[in-house]
Amino acid sequence: MSVEPQLFLLIWGTLVGLDLVSIPQMMIARPLVAGAVAGGILGDATTGIMIGALFELFQFDILPVGAVRYPEYGPATVAAVSAAHAIPGVLGFGLGALVGLVTGLIGGESLHRLRRITTRAVQRAAEPLERGDVRVLMRVHATAILRDGVRAALVTAVGLVLAQAARSVLAIAVSPRGAGLLGAAAVAAALAAGSSGTYRLVGRGPALRWFALGLCGGAVVTWLR
Amino acid sequence: MAAVKDRPRLGLSFLRLFAVQGSWNYERMLGLGVGVAAEALLRDLKTDGNEDAYRAAVARSARFFNAHPYLAGLAVGAAARAEHDGMPPTQIERFRSALISPLGALGDQLVWAAWLPLLAAAALAGIALGAGWIAVAAFVVVYNVGHVALRWWALSAGWAHGAHVVAALQAAHLQRASAIGVPAMGLVTGFALPLVAFSLAGSFGGWERLAVAVVAVVGFIALQLFQRVFSGLRLGLMAVALALIVGWLWP
Repeated sequence: MSVEPQLFLLIWGTLVGLDLVSIPQMMIARPLVAGAVAGGILGDATTGIMIGALFELFQFDILPVGAVRYPEYGPATVAAVSAAHAIPGVLGFGLGALVGLVTGLIGGESLHRLRRITTRAVQRAAEPLERGDVRVLMRVHATAILRDGVRAALVTAVGLVLAQAARSVLAIAVSPRGAGLLGAAAVAAALAAGSSGTYRLVGRGPALRWFALGLCGGAVVTWLR
Repeated sequence: MAAVKDRPRLGLSFLRLFAVQGSWNYERMLGLGVGVAAEALLRDLKTDGNEDAYRAAVARSARFFNAHPYLAGLAVGAAARAEHDGMPPTQIERFRSALISPLGALGDQLVWAAWLPLLAAAALAGIALGAGWIAVAAFVVVYNVGHVALRWWALSAGWAHGAHVVAALQAAHLQRASAIGVPAMGLVTGFALPLVAFSLAGSFGGWERLAVAVVAVVGFIALQLFQRVFSGLRLGLMAVALALIVGWLWP
């Protein structure tokens, strides 16, 4: 793969990483969007959208409330699309999932570390902040956003390197049966995460009945198709 | 008490609210972002070169705060209005603290548990039914219409109501949206799941589809039973690692 699309993927992954928490939270960080645009950059929108759909299911398992720690699936999806692109069939799908999950783990850990670094920066600036020093307030805030941008770029870069490694090493080493298993494992885990996350949100109250009704309706439409 | 303008730099404060979580940290959480957004509304507290009231208000606004990011504007607007109205500092601090729980709970209920997953599930269903890019684009546009409208409503309601902002939170349309949001999300997500499952597993052979079904059911049960220690990510990593090992041993 040439350098140019990789560079665009890096820029896109950075924007996606910034969107998750820092700015502007318009949900380009959702895997569905991140994956579709990454696929568009590579001229392979179908792979991008399918990988995006896979990670969107994993995203359903996350409720980003308070100080909870969670994986970061946006840049992970960008890396996953890069891994899956140009590898036909189930193998590309499975390798994309593998790269994306590992990158998601790294992204989540990087967010936690970033927050600790920002906490220390805020503690160092406590005295001027308590004085109402606006310049210090703006500087600490802007630096934190910049730091998150660097973090998102690094996570995306690591993901893209992993994708390259997966394409050049694992794509050759995995047998056809292994490819099928890898793809099946990724889809199964995503479905479990998606349904489990939804079940947790609807709870056991009246919303559960609507969830069950939706499942029946979806199953009928799937069967009719 | 400073003179209160009708809409003092609400636009600038609104734009800054898009970065309200930019300096999220474990000590003040949203505090600094709230302070940055509030600063634009507090500038009128400067009187004849005296910045004491302005600086004190900025310092208060940047202290610990946590809420749903889309509704943080409500606290920004209300606390800034209270500063202009001359509410005593200790009361403003208590007022900000009192807003944390309702703003967090309402935002989580409206956005994270309803609006966002509902639209994401609708987009997934659209993709499974062949809508492709259109489904993704529709998700981004429709979601952000609601997102931007909610942020603007929060800031302007906070500014308009000031210390009486709780009345805005009890508005009938918010209560209704909160009541129907999660059931609607459940219905749409339930509808999307079988379609997406079939779409993603469409290229698999017979035994692979069986494996998907078995692992998905076992994974679902495991995620429900061990919620505290087990997550979708861990399940996914374990499943793909196991698949790689089995595929290597049984080529």
